[in-house]
Amino acid sequence: MGKPILEIKNLSAKVADKEIIKNLNLTINAGEVHALMGPNGTGKSTLSYILTGKPGYEITDGEILFHGRDLTTLKPEERACAGIFLSMQYPVAIPGVASNNFLKHAVNAKRKYEGKPELDAAEFLKLLRGVAKDLDISAEMLKREINVGFSGGEKKRMEILQMSLLQPKLAILDEADSGLDIDALKIVAEGVNKWHNNDNSLLIITHHQDLLNHIQPDVVHIYADGHIVKSGDKNLAIELEKSGYKAFVDTKE
Amino acid sequence: MKLTEQDITLWGNDIPWLAGLREKGMRAFTATGLPTAKTEAWKYSFNAVGNMENLQIDTAPHECNGHCHHSEELPFAAYYIDFCNGKLQGEHFDLPRGVSVKPLVEAIYDGDAKSYLNKSFAVEKFPFAALNAAYLEQGAMIVVERNTVLDKPIVIRYHAHKSQNLFCNIRNIIALEARAKAEIIEYIDIEESTCFHNAVNEIFLAADSILKHYKLQKEGKTKYVSLNSVQQRSNSHYKCFVLQKENALARHESYINLLQEGACAEVDGAYRLNESGVSDITTNIRHLAPHTTSNQLVKGVVAGKAKGVFQGQIHIAPDAQQTEGHQLHRALLLSDEGEVDCKPELEIFADDVKCSHGATCGDLDKEQLFYMQSRGICMEEARQILIEAYLQEVLNMIDNSEIAAWISKNL
Amino acid sequence: MAQKAEILKNLDEKYKYGFITDIKADTVPCGLNEDIIRMISAKKNEPEWLLERRLKAYRHWLTMKEPTWAKLIYDKVDFQALSYYAAPVQKKQPKSLDEVDKNLLETYNKLGIPLKEQEALAGVVAVDAVFDSVSVATTYRAQLAEKGIIFCSISEAIKEHPDLVQKYLGSVVPYTDNFYACLNSAVFTDGSFVYIPKGVKAPIELSTYFRINAKNTGQFERTLIVAEDDSYVSYLEGCTAPQRDENQLHAAIVEIVVMNNAEVKYSTVQNWYPGDKDGKGGVYNFVTKRAACRGVNSKVSWTQVETGSAVTWKYPSCILQGDNSVGEFYSVAVTHHKQQADTGTKMIHIGKNTRSKIISKGISAGFSNQTYRGLVDVGINADNARNYSQCDSLLIGSACGSHTVPYVRNRNKTAVLEHEATTSKISEEQLFYCQQRGLNEEEAVGLIVNGFCKEVMQKLPMEFAIEAAKLINISLEGSVG
Repeated sequence: MGKPILEIKNLSAKVADKEIIKNLNLTINAGEVHALMGPNGTGKSTLSYILTGKPGYEITDGEILFHGRDLTTLKPEERACAGIFLSMQYPVAIPGVASNNFLKHAVNAKRKYEGKPELDAAEFLKLLRGVAKDLDISAEMLKREINVGFSGGEKKRMEILQMSLLQPKLAILDEADSGLDIDALKIVAEGVNKWHNNDNSLLIITHHQDLLNHIQPDVVHIYADGHIVKSGDKNLAIELEKSGYKAFVDTKE
Repeated sequence: MKLTEQDITLWGNDIPWLAGLREKGMRAFTATGLPTAKTEAWKYSFNAVGNMENLQIDTAPHECNGHCHHSEELPFAAYYIDFCNGKLQGEHFDLPRGVSVKPLVEAIYDGDAKSYLNKSFAVEKFPFAALNAAYLEQGAMIVVERNTVLDKPIVIRYHAHKSQNLFCNIRNIIALEARAKAEIIEYIDIEESTCFHNAVNEIFLAADSILKHYKLQKEGKTKYVSLNSVQQRSNSHYKCFVLQKENALARHESYINLLQEGACAEVDGAYRLNESGVSDITTNIRHLAPHTTSNQLVKGVVAGKAKGVFQGQIHIAPDAQQTEGHQLHRALLLSDEGEVDCKPELEIFADDVKCSHGATCGDLDKEQLFYMQSRGICMEEARQILIEAYLQEVLNMIDNSEIAAWISKNL
Repeated sequence: MAQKAEILKNLDEKYKYGFITDIKADTVPCGLNEDIIRMISAKKNEPEWLLERRLKAYRHWLTMKEPTWAKLIYDKVDFQALSYYAAPVQKKQPKSLDEVDKNLLETYNKLGIPLKEQEALAGVVAVDAVFDSVSVATTYRAQLAEKGIIFCSISEAIKEHPDLVQKYLGSVVPYTDNFYACLNSAVFTDGSFVYIPKGVKAPIELSTYFRINAKNTGQFERTLIVAEDDSYVSYLEGCTAPQRDENQLHAAIVEIVVMNNAEVKYSTVQNWYPGDKDGKGGVYNFVTKRAACRGVNSKVSWTQVETGSAVTWKYPSCILQGDNSVGEFYSVAVTHHKQQADTGTKMIHIGKNTRSKIISKGISAGFSNQTYRGLVDVGINADNARNYSQCDSLLIGSACGSHTVPYVRNRNKTAVLEHEATTSKISEEQLFYCQQRGLNEEEAVGLIVNGFCKEVMQKLPMEFAIEAAKLINISLEGSVG
């Protein structure tokens, strides 16, 4: 396996004075797919917000390194441009802003950060069309205001579309399969698999097995009470599906 | 003789602070005078005030012994307080522990009223409340003590005894102490007389108290102007419902100050005017602290030559973050000569707020009418059904089902 | 195409238009009295009837009081300290564009308004350039004249088309209308005149570009647009002023007359100097704009993007007199720092089946205060009148204010009126979402604000819209964080 992309060491964090993450350790190497599994409402999303720098989340202890570089002092957009992408569980609607316009801004923000020339309308459209086709996203949908009136499935496809366009080094998929029917799930998984290579890595946050049937994880972590209680290979997920979380959470306590 | 020149001796003019308060009221009223088209808060209804010159205050002791009012019993258990010709009837009221009702003069004499009178608003801003202060005498003071939950509503009935050109000037103080809870119904039932009612309620809600305030005005020829000035402390809840029926003028003005966090005010109302008259619901809700909320829904039906007015202001002060204020006025205008005027106003100085207002005005839906006719319902009946359904939405805001049923019947 | 875009181009500085043109001006002494008015009238070589009108207006103005009902706080204007006429001195009256003073041409070039004509008419805009009190040039006149369209300065129109001017001037906004309109009627100096004859559709967009240059001068321009039966015109208006520490007064009148089946689109991008961040200087913009839809099926739409002026008092209105006439008002107002705006519209429904639509988007930032004030009035005979109003406000920062005061008056039972308003702020969720995709905070705010205004921006001519979007972003620079 490759060099570490993300290293989380002894991380503790709180939100609104409540400690959510307690002494968490996690290393993800290039080329790896990790799955973080845990019951609903235990703060899995909190971890994704900490990694992406959402305001209101405070790190009380520990460190986060991205490509060996301290992440915690960077602004959210700097982290994004550096290569961290979060597919959100509930992407927010921005009325009046056409999806394709938004995507162009995002792509060019990253290009600017990397010192590359910005794409003009024609170049961008060419890029966008190719990616959208793979995800079965119509030109019509790209004209709609971003996430406004989108179904759950449409939102998730739009998130994966952005991932494909932005080509991050680390993608975090937070409940990326919610609201998807089986066909849409396959399309999303294909999109992710197509992007994934030995150079980048993936952290899948989910509370059930479904997505993992289509994207094979290298490592499965069981998350409870603010940290990882057990790690294993993909069979751990299958075991978990059978026995439920209770067994794992209880053994710890 | 002008009302302001009538030589009357009010009780207690030898009490310096009271005399001062009356004097200040008269000064403020003389300075502003009666409202005109330029008085923003009276823009649409100033005309209905009319000539006040022939009005007289009834100075003689009123001795109807309760016979001049028909003492309509409401279809639910309640405590009653009666006013006749602008005068409070009786001196002692049979109320459960923790609740006290006194005539205003007694409350002034005892020293209880001083810390409340004119404390919730500035007389300079409200011409009729200034006039009310100038003639301050009649009224009641209701206090619900800490942790007291009133078992039955208090009903305040206002009557008048076939008198003409009577000027009734009433000031009530309603104070709920911490965690107290009460329901107060004001029932204005003046059919015969052409009096001018000038009422002011000063309402003080301490922390965690809940007041449900209903004001029902029956049909009549009267002019009724009222100011309901409310001061709310933390987490108190003021829920008001106003029903106005046809009168020469019916104006319910709310001036609500949400002073501390968590305070919540709701003012809902309905008006229904069939032939003439002016109905005016004016509200000014001031969010002065964070996490305060307000909601208003007013629906009206106007026919004949009548006029319906709704003015609602939501003010959000600079530090009142995370507040929510919503306001909706809907009116049906059913005649060629009727008029509906509306001014929903937002005044916002804080950024983290959610505010909205809406207003609609229109006739009954022709498709719906036709649909009902096609099922054999005659036009008039179909209209009635639709109007009732229209007003039902706002009646649903009343959470006491007995009171709701009674109001619904009176509509 | 280029000219339109350039009106607002090169916005990389805070207020790019703050420069002063060094040109000799012919001014009248400060102060206002009947002699001054006679002097202005004489300088302009006006007919007697106009002078009489001016004096009548002036005498009426003396009886009027400055309105105080708007939610605006500013140092009152000393009307005696102003000069009511300033004209750049040119060697001789230019007969064609070639003869216009080089210094003036240069000024408009710097502003991005080249006063030159191209051979082909496609994609160009005819410009009337008003510099302080006078119109200095009007382009494409000959080409327009071929179609019977009159596009010239109002001063010329008074001389060359006195019948038209006498018939329509003051017919929509009478001199008694309000304090500032009355003042304008007494002292107006120049402006544009547009006449579209029956059945003619203007082949290009017409525009006026207003520039205040001279110090201590009020600008009182007067625009009159008449659209005869079955005609159409799209008209654009742009404004800038030098950066001066004193407040400058701009009190204009725009009158539009629309006859049967005619349509007028009036778009404004107002970028008067807004004052500095402490509220020093800037333009007082006290303007009366009104359109009379006199004919059946006539239509007027006002579209405005306002980012400038220290104080704005402005309510472009529609009198919907003709049956089936339509009035529209689309507005974006941005206030930042200590700017104040009290603006909105009036829709007066008189004729049957009249329709109106109001979309107002207000964005307040910094220490600014903004009020939407609107009136929808449905008269007794306005059967089946329809109005839809939507007023949305966006607040950026906690020191600004946003107010909505809609007046609705209905005296017709067949009317259907709807009003909606919301006030909100940019949500942290939206900001974070944009940042997660690599946009910095300022870009994110710009994107969200432009999305918020979309409905209005779509109503502007395309190139104008792109530049207006940039203008909004620049106006809001430094408003977050």
